[in-house]
Amino acid sequence: MIELVNLTKEYKNVKAVKNLSMFIERGEIVGLLGPNGAGKSTAISMLSSLVEPTSGDVRFENSSIIKNPSKFRKIVGIVPQEIALYEDLTAEENLHFFGRIYHLRGAKLKQKVEEVLEQIGLSDRRKDVVKKFSGGMKRRLNIGVAMLHDPEMIIMDEPTVGIDPQSRNYILETVKRLNEERNMTVLYTSHYMEEVEFLCDRIYIMDKGDLIASGTKEEIKKILSSENTIAIKADRFNKEFLDALQNHPSVNRITIGEREVLIIVPRAVNMFSEVIKIAEEYGIELVSVDNKAPTLEDVFLHLTGRALRD
Amino acid sequence: MVWNIIKKQGLLFLRNPQELLLLLALPMILITILSTALGGLINGGSSPISINVAFIEHGDEQREVEKFLRDIEEQLPPQAVEEVRANIEQMLPITIIKESIFGNEEISEFIEVDYLNVSKREDVLNNDEYTTLIEVPENFTYDTLTNLVFDSGKVPSLILMQNEGQQVGTGVINNLLTQFQEQLTLGEFLGKNQIDMDNLQLTSDVKGEIVTINEQEPVSSKAYYTLGMVLMNVLFLAGAIGSYAFHEKQIHVFDRIMIANVSRWSYFIGVLLSGTIFAFIQCLIIFGFSRVVFGVTWPDLTAFFLITLAFSLSVGGIAVLLVAISYRINTETITNFFTSIIVTLFAVLGGSFAPIGDYSKVIQFLGNLTPNGASMTAYLTILRGEELLKIGNEILYLIGFAAAAVVIAVLCFPKRRLSQ
Ligand SMILES: Nc1ncnc2c1ncn2[C@@H]1O[C@H](COP(=O)(O)OP(=O)(O)OP(=O)(O)O)[C@@H](O)[C@H]1O
Ligand SMILES: [Mg+2]
Repeated sequence: MIELVNLTKEYKNVKAVKNLSMFIERGEIVGLLGPNGAGKSTAISMLSSLVEPTSGDVRFENSSIIKNPSKFRKIVGIVPQEIALYEDLTAEENLHFFGRIYHLRGAKLKQKVEEVLEQIGLSDRRKDVVKKFSGGMKRRLNIGVAMLHDPEMIIMDEPTVGIDPQSRNYILETVKRLNEERNMTVLYTSHYMEEVEFLCDRIYIMDKGDLIASGTKEEIKKILSSENTIAIKADRFNKEFLDALQNHPSVNRITIGEREVLIIVPRAVNMFSEVIKIAEEYGIELVSVDNKAPTLEDVFLHLTGRALRD
Repeated sequence: MVWNIIKKQGLLFLRNPQELLLLLALPMILITILSTALGGLINGGSSPISINVAFIEHGDEQREVEKFLRDIEEQLPPQAVEEVRANIEQMLPITIIKESIFGNEEISEFIEVDYLNVSKREDVLNNDEYTTLIEVPENFTYDTLTNLVFDSGKVPSLILMQNEGQQVGTGVINNLLTQFQEQLTLGEFLGKNQIDMDNLQLTSDVKGEIVTINEQEPVSSKAYYTLGMVLMNVLFLAGAIGSYAFHEKQIHVFDRIMIANVSRWSYFIGVLLSGTIFAFIQCLIIFGFSRVVFGVTWPDLTAFFLITLAFSLSVGGIAVLLVAISYRINTETITNFFTSIIVTLFAVLGGSFAPIGDYSKVIQFLGNLTPNGASMTAYLTILRGEELLKIGNEILYLIGFAAAAVVIAVLCFPKRRLSQ
């Protein structure tokens, strides 16, 4: 349906996106993952023809979106990372305004506003000004505005940042439902692995402007096939123990939490007995030591050596 | 589409009482304060303005009085003649003007009168420092007395030559003379002096005329400060619209509008018309206030609406120019600069606080270059009772100003993508 070809955007000091190539098929939910500053929003801005790429192209139905954006704009709904709403207007007034912007009018407009309010679960708060909404409600309205004109495709830029788990689930379920019921194509950007794992068929991972991995969930997890992640849980760790783990020749990477330490080790090594031995040596009372199924988070850690979120 | 943008702007104003307070209540309060301050000044007190009046008599009051007294002996019963003779000292119009009006301690503090010889007339006319030249024609006193006593219908006139550059000053003089005129014609004056009006066959509906040459109406301080405050505060509206629009860019609402395939020029026109329409409404509300509370009325409504519309258009032009520049340079600095510095500068030059243009030709010229100053001149012109044609230049200038602002805005407004 849509294809990004060697898309590059250079700002004065940074290359925000470097040679990004990706495609999205009709009816897919595609995830775009990456930490802060990876270039996700920049990629989306070029995709929605708000920012002109330094080089490269975006193709939609055999023509360039960069040169001729209007055809694509008609069928796409964009949910920006920011809350792009009038805080002083009510939910309903916002929807009305943006509906008119999409040339909806009269009964059709009314019906669409009604429908969207229903979809985003804000029917009973329609008369409240957005200023008074919770973060989650604002996010939902932010999505609702992008759905007014019945887009075939929706692009969501981190639609769940900074909101409560309930709203987050609501949004994820809504996206899934839109995809299943209306065959809506979705490009979903996030730095939450679990969201992308839950929603997406295919995934692209970016870091510092580069595409560092792409494929289906399974394909990407296979990247980890040669390694194991072991989760070590205890009520308390001490420095000696952690140093010993860190310096252990078989430990490739280590992530330290308060009560859980993750280590990545080659699959061939049996690390369990090693961990228990070290724990005894430094007086750590272990709660559990588990072999963890690889997650996308692990993949990211593997690829970049950094956790996705700080 | 454009209408949708305007409607949204209206809603945003309604939802921001603070903004409304600044745009509407503040000017109303200022009008009240300033006009009371200047009102106090007319009743005495120290004055920031000084008014120079030249006074030239073509006749001789004393000789005319003697002639009048001689003449009435033939026409009135002796008793009435005696009564007139006894009170004649209080009936002399020129003496009253000189002593009771210009001689008044409070008034003389800010009005300086030069009593000049007829031969100085040309000099006065060429001297820009005089606010008004008052000329007393020959037989003025004689005719006034005759009219008072016999209702002769021959209404004598003082001739006022007014310096058009000094609008407040001429207004004050006109006010004073009008008051005097009314006393003179409505019989109060005679009544006060216990003259039996029946005896004198005086009718109280005699209408006299003092003015003159241009038939100019006086401009009251309330009207003046209404204008000053309206014209200044409506400029703030351009700044407010500029801020709203830039905020739309910051919160990415503008992106949303672009993604919806709306032409950026629709948005542009939306801003221009929002500025114009809301400026117009703001003007009407404050003028309405001043009409209800202070009784400031407009002699020529067509001209009034025409000026208000032209001024509003220029405010719309400023608004869209601010938006275009702030979108181009991607900061709100220009709008802040406008509201904090330019508006004040324009207001001072345009005479919002005091008719400073009256004292310097250069300032007057600069003032008329500001849209508010040009509008001020136009409004004052029609307030003084002039006809529509007289404000043609100002109207054209305002429209030209708006057009220039729009053209520059078009050139500045980012044309394609918002890529910085
Ligand atoms: N208008 C701009 N001018 C200059 N640099 C920019 C601009 N927009 C983005 N950048 C830079 O480009 C890089 C990518 O930014 P981008 O917003 O695309 O990242 P992101 O993946 O969306 O991050 P986040 O998860 O924080 O939203 C960053 O280094 C950012 O500082
Ligand atoms: Mg982003």
